[in-house]
Parts: sequence; structure tokens; C-alpha cells
Amino acid sequence: MKGAEFLVKALEHEGVDIMFGYPGGAIMPVYDALLDSKIRHILVRHEQGAALAADGYARASGKVGVCMATSGPGATNLVTGIANAYMDSVPVVAITGQVATPLMGTDAFQEVDIFGITLPVVKHSFLVEKSKDLPRVIHEAFRIARSGRPGPVLVDLPKDVANTPGDYQFAEGDESAAAPAPRAESIARALELIRASRKPVIYAGGGIGMARALDAFRAFVEKTRIPAVSTLKGLGSIPTTHELFLGMMGMHGMKAANHAVQASDLLICIGARFDDRATGKLTAFAPHAKVIHMDVDPSEVGKLRHVEVPVLGDLRQSLAALSIPVECEPWRRECLASKKQYAWDYDAPGTGVYAPGFLKRLSQLAGPGAIVACDVGQHQMWVAQHFDFQRPEHHLTSGGLGTMGYGLPAAIGAQFARPDACVFNVSGDGSIMMNLQELATLRRYDLPVKIVLIDNHALGMVRQWQELFHDKRYSEVDLSDNPDFARVAESMGIPAFRVESRSDTDDAIRRLLAETGPVLAHVVIDQEANVWPIVGPGKSNSEMLDEVRG
Amino acid sequence: MNTITFRLKLKHDEGALVRLLGLVRRKRFDVVSLQANASTDGSYLDVQMTLQTSRPQSSLLPHIEKLLEASHVEMIESGESGREVRAARIAS
Repeated sequence: MKGAEFLVKALEHEGVDIMFGYPGGAIMPVYDALLDSKIRHILVRHEQGAALAADGYARASGKVGVCMATSGPGATNLVTGIANAYMDSVPVVAITGQVATPLMGTDAFQEVDIFGITLPVVKHSFLVEKSKDLPRVIHEAFRIARSGRPGPVLVDLPKDVANTPGDYQFAEGDESAAAPAPRAESIARALELIRASRKPVIYAGGGIGMARALDAFRAFVEKTRIPAVSTLKGLGSIPTTHELFLGMMGMHGMKAANHAVQASDLLICIGARFDDRATGKLTAFAPHAKVIHMDVDPSEVGKLRHVEVPVLGDLRQSLAALSIPVECEPWRRECLASKKQYAWDYDAPGTGVYAPGFLKRLSQLAGPGAIVACDVGQHQMWVAQHFDFQRPEHHLTSGGLGTMGYGLPAAIGAQFARPDACVFNVSGDGSIMMNLQELATLRRYDLPVKIVLIDNHALGMVRQWQELFHDKRYSEVDLSDNPDFARVAESMGIPAFRVESRSDTDDAIRRLLAETGPVLAHVVIDQEANVWPIVGPGKSNSEMLDEVRG
Repeated sequence: MNTITFRLKLKHDEGALVRLLGLVRRKRFDVVSLQANASTDGSYLDVQMTLQTSRPQSSLLPHIEKLLEASHVEMIESGESGREVRAARIAS
């Protein structure tokens, strides 16, 4: 058996049944072996699409996503997707072809040091120089990608190694160790702080979903009855419709959420990392609060904010141990009153499509099981603010890297992971152009992904910042020469239609939902629509700017 | 300016030392001295580094401990230096 044939067998052995990729010279032995495999290979139209689809697949399925590309430009085109997975802790194994080992270091055709290029954005990486290492490397790659804090792993495979025959045997053992139990002393100290607190707030992050601690987290909220806020990636940790959920915190967070955090005397941070978009001005973040930080990754504790009690290890065990009734009824009432006071008002002036209202209605009509893969920009924040999520894996968003172009390939990956789910890609006119070629992938595989393209003829978020923080000096944000997106989609065999009036909202959404294949709704909004509220650069979360409706 | 000296064992895998130095650079630490000696069988490097930074040591060491090739990470010396040594910035 050749190395490439073994690689494919090893992938099957690791439970891989689908992968995303694009062939080329150095990876041809593996593509040849794939012809005799049960693994379904999804041919994307650009390698970045492969990496982002693998990311979307991993998030929606809870399994390791796999992508593959050839050496040189194929490999470099994966890099943004690998970095995206790294920043959001998504388990992905990326396999790249490499020139034959005797050619390495000679500037051979399509040779690039992808191992070196990706060092800062992988959890780990392997260059397989000896065929005997292949079984161990593949097994290790999957174990590392999914263990502890998940992340991407690169396997760079030179062509001569892929062609080397050998008596390969699957590597076994050294399975992922379970996260350690929290220390009893930490639990005792955390309980002391919780009991002493009068104004506690739960700060929920994406780590809850990754740790598969949803049930334990929800039980913790129900038992303690502590008001909860979440990060962008923590949305869905408890249903966003839950009475104790105050909303997303941070730059575009709910006012009630930010106010609660700023006034709290105890912040219980669970699987989050004090990201600058969540905290605003760090020195002014939750100024009166002591902090309990629960996480599996010790390097996150105390990285940005002093922590009174770190609780490291298995979140499920930690949450169960801290689930006690908490006496904070006046504070609870204050938070819920604030939530009511600052509830969204969808009654915007005008007759054009109001994006927050459109997305709210989309959420209501699509139902609780819908999966939304966003791109990056204003529409991403509107989705986070207005779509109701029941589970974190229903909300696929590029939170850390902020990758424009993430949404469409991620939606493709999610639809393969969850064939029966209603999957949306909510995009913008800037973002959709970043991976527009993947419309052809949608058509090729006839995936029923529903694209909601919110078009304001501008790079909306940058335009908003230039308006608010750069004295309306607009620099390179105008996209009024956009193509006719409906015709572009139709040219790729995808039905599309245009929505311009608010009164057409329900009909448009029903048309989207009725379509059995891929479909695109081109939703035109006012170029000057902004995301509100907003915390300005360098400002505290206490200083939110809000819309003034005249 | 803080100076820290620590040592560790580094599995002598592909790119392990580059991975370590890249991490040091990304976390904004400058190298004052670096010694790396291969073990007799070549499977490990014994590494000792002195670094200079304005950041807390806690912003680096837990990340080094996460490197899969690293083990026995041990702080030898840590303190505030009176002056800034003209340390080597790995970045240009």
C-alpha cells in the first residue's frame, strides 16, 4: 500500500466520511487513492472555501473537519481558513501536498514552506518526512485537533512520501485525555464568592459549547438564577429567549447586558477570554467585579483581567459543583427591568427594508432549529442581536479572525453536516464577493442553503466607523458598482430574487423557506443604516452610543 | 523592564525550536540569551533562555507549556532589571 492509500484508509479509520478540497500536482497521489474510498470529497472552487467549509462542518457537527489542497498556492489559499479555525478554536485537520523531499528547499515549482507559514495559526503541525511516521502523525493530528481546547492541525505530505509503499498499520492508543476535574479548593473559593455576591452576572463564552457543557450550564443558570450575558460565540449557550438572558455583551451588545456587567460585583466567566470586542476599554471593564474564571485552558486565565478565583478543568464538573441557589432577588429584578426597558424597537421610520426587523422576522418564521452562517460586518452584528438561537452550533460566525467570506463556505459545510436542517447564509455585499465562487459549489451539490444577501452598496461597518469616528471622511467604502447579485446567482443556476420594500418582508421569507434547493434573496437596504448601539474605540462599555430617531 | 530566565526540554521534532522562538516573538518578548543543546541521543534539546519584556511573564510561560514539544518548563530567575539590555528582537 502506498502512503497516500494509507492516508485515506487512516482518515476513514478516524471516522472521516466527508472532506473538502481542491486537487493539484503534489496532492495527486491522495486524490488517486480517494477514488477507491468511501470518503465523500467535496470539490470547492477555491481552497479557502475548503478550509472554511471544513470549519463550518466541524462547528455544526461537533466532529473534526477535514480539508485538503495541493502544495504552493493551494496550501497558501488554506491559510485564512486555518487561522479562522485557530482563532475560534475549531477542530480542523488540513492536509497539504508538498513537493518531494529531495526538492524541498530548492524553490521547486509550487514549493512553499506551509509548515513555517502556518506556525502561528495552528494548534500543531506535522511535516511527514518519513513514510513510517504517517500512521502516528494522522492519528495524532485528529487527537490533537479535538482534545482540550480544540484547534486546527496541519499535515504537510511530500509527494514521494505519499508514493512510498509500505506495510502501514493504524496507530492506536493515547486517546484524548478527559479534561481534569477542577480542584476542590478552587470550587470552595468560588462558592464563597458566589454566596457573598449581591450582584452576580454570568459571562458565557463559546467554550461552553465546545466543552459539550450545555446541559450543565443550563442547569447552573436555572439553579443559581443569576442573570446571564454572552459573547458573540456564546450565543445559544442558553436560548436567547430565556428570561434570565440579558443579551450579547460588548461593542454591539444589548444595553441591559453591558449595564449589568458594568454594575456587577461578581463576574462568573465561563469559557470566554475577555476579548477586546467584548470588554471594551479593559481598565474600565466591570470595575466593581471580582472574577471567577472557568476554563479548560490555563493560558487564558489572568491573560487580560485579574482573576480572583480560577477554576480550571472540566466545565461540566465545575458547573455542577457551583450550582447552588443564590440570593440576589433585587439585583435579578433590576436586570430584568433593564432588559425590558432597553428591548429592541423594530418600529423604524421609512418604508425600506429594516435589516434588524427582517432578521427578527426570519428567525421567527424559520423556527428554532435553523442554522445561520454569517459573514463579517454589519449584518453579522444584526444577526447576533436579532436572531434567536437555541444552541451555539446554530450560530456559525467568524468571531476571532473576522473573516469576510466565511459565511457561504461555512454554510456549505454546515449543510453537509446537517442535511435536514434549514441552513442560512446571511451575508453582505462586501463579504459575498470574497467567496462568491462557492455559489457554484452550492449548485453542484444542490444544497438547499438559503442566502440572505443584505446589500447596502457599501462596506457598511467601515462606512459606519468613518461616519461616527472619522468625521464622515469616507475612504474606499462605496460599492455602488456592485453587480446584479440576483443575475450572478441565476447565472450559476441558483434562483434569486430582489427585496426592496419592508412590506415584502414576509413574502420574501416565505419564498426563501419554500425553496427546496439553493436560493438567494438580494435584500436592498439603506446605505446609511448603522448597527446600534455601539461602543466607540477605546471607550468603556458604559459609554454606548445609540441611535437617535428623529 | 522585566527579565526572566527559564529552561525547558524541547522534543527535537520538525520546527520545534522555530515554533518556540515564534511564540516568544508573538508574545512580545526579546531574547537576551539562548542556549540549546541536543541530548546525547538527539531526541531532545535542552533549552535555556533569558528574555526581556515589559509584559508579565504569565503572558508567555503558560503558552510555552502548551507547546506539544515542550516539557519540564522551569523558571530559574525572574525580576525587574534596572536597565534595558539591548536585546535581540526576533522580529525585524
